[in-house]
Amino acid sequence: MRERSGAAETHGHAGRARRSAPAPAALLALPALAFVLVPLAGLAVKAPWSRAGSALSRSGAWTALGVSLEVTLGATALSLLVALPAAWALARVPFPGRRVVRALIVLPIVLPPVVAGVALLAALGRLGFVGALLGRAGITLAFTTAGAAVAAAFVSAPFLVLALEAGFRGLDTRLEDAARALGASRRYVFQRIVLPQLRPALVAGLVLAWARALGEFGATITFAGNFRGTTQTLPLAVFQALQTDPGAAIVISLGMLAISVGVLVAVGGRLLVR
Amino acid sequence: MRRAIVVLLFPFLALMACSRGSAPSQPAARERTLTVLGAASLTDAFQAIGRRFEARHDGVTIRFSFGPSDGLAQQLQQGAPADLFASASSKWMDAVAGDPGVGHRADFARNRLTVVVPTSNPAGITALADLAKPGVRLVLAAEGVPAGDYARDILDNAGISRAALANLVSNEIDVKGVLQKVAAGEADAGIVYVTDVTPDVRGQVTAIPIPDAVNVIATYPIAVVAGSRDPGLALRFERYVLGPGQSELRRAGFLPAA
Repeated sequence: MRERSGAAETHGHAGRARRSAPAPAALLALPALAFVLVPLAGLAVKAPWSRAGSALSRSGAWTALGVSLEVTLGATALSLLVALPAAWALARVPFPGRRVVRALIVLPIVLPPVVAGVALLAALGRLGFVGALLGRAGITLAFTTAGAAVAAAFVSAPFLVLALEAGFRGLDTRLEDAARALGASRRYVFQRIVLPQLRPALVAGLVLAWARALGEFGATITFAGNFRGTTQTLPLAVFQALQTDPGAAIVISLGMLAISVGVLVAVGGRLLVR
Repeated sequence: MRRAIVVLLFPFLALMACSRGSAPSQPAARERTLTVLGAASLTDAFQAIGRRFEARHDGVTIRFSFGPSDGLAQQLQQGAPADLFASASSKWMDAVAGDPGVGHRADFARNRLTVVVPTSNPAGITALADLAKPGVRLVLAAEGVPAGDYARDILDNAGISRAALANLVSNEIDVKGVLQKVAAGEADAGIVYVTDVTPDVRGQVTAIPIPDAVNVIATYPIAVVAGSRDPGLALRFERYVLGPGQSELRRAGFLPAA
């Protein structure tokens, strides 16, 4: 993504010459390609195609798909709510300690998800210091779809923050200055100038955050539990099916693989290489 | 340049380090490793037995993989390399006996189940029947997991199956997951094995006994898995579990096999 924005600038290193190597050198990419494709091919080979439909329905895959949609959309909305102002502040306000704040905000990217689950449990669980307050307000997160969404948002929001911050930094602030000089309100400038320009970064960030939320497993099972129809998302359904019906687990995995490919095509094909 | 080489070599070095795990570099008397797949409920008792067995057998290392018996059986059927399988129910030992096959199968312990609640007991549960009270947040092991199946049998025996299962909020992957959710205070109640209420969790959970009339007795079989690379040593470990290891099982609260 950085490379694109660099190339988009007419000055700088846009004119840097690229030396090309002979075509057979492309074989260097082969190990990485095989490393990814061989296991995925294993899914296709092992899949019980003849009973795929019944495997899906018996393992509760369709219910899990519904839960996953609910959880990931909730998580993405929650992520957006916290990420948009944070990204703006990180990109536009040169406050002291900004790097530390950014590092802390994106920490969940490198944090093991199960640690995220334990941490969420410790803070937002029924006996946690925030969870106790929430409980008094009548809000419980453990074993609820909302809890699964919070777990997913915790691990996916950083992706949105990073994408949006890069988006804000890539904006041409002169347009905003000009609009302000012409008498536009801050709100008008944000809605009519900033948001439209931000859209590619916003969409890319939303898709990435959504995809990360879709794959969330560790924090969800630790914090929200596993119940068909409320907290059993697709990854949890895969894990549970693996205990009793590996064929079903493979079929659901293939479905999620298709979604991932779709995400790549959406992000890579349209948003990044434009 | 040198750093680049190190970086390039790193994956291979890492792979080598991993693959050497099973074959330590300094050959002692004779290094032998047993891999034991055990039901999650056996975690503490088997680790204690393993330590004693290792102390008595020079150069022998026991590697345990604990999990739900159904999941372990599934792993064995997928070709996971293991020497012994210890299941929390006959059902999953039967499955493994069919594929890939077992030898020297023997029951080595029995277990009962108990209701557990957080020490704060937020739902005010004092007996099994209270699990049917509306609003109780009940957590069980998933269906198919022995502890989950036994728990459902118990609810059936007590005639509160429908009401209690309406309170179910999570199907945990194994019995230790149930214990964790109760110990963390997230769930109001769960059903686990008597042996799961170890000293480690006694401060966080209270056990509420299930009357014998409705309780289920879980039988634990152990067997040497077909394809074991050291069946002789595997059988020695099995005999140890059936013999001297019984004291560790008793200490953990298991009943002797029938």
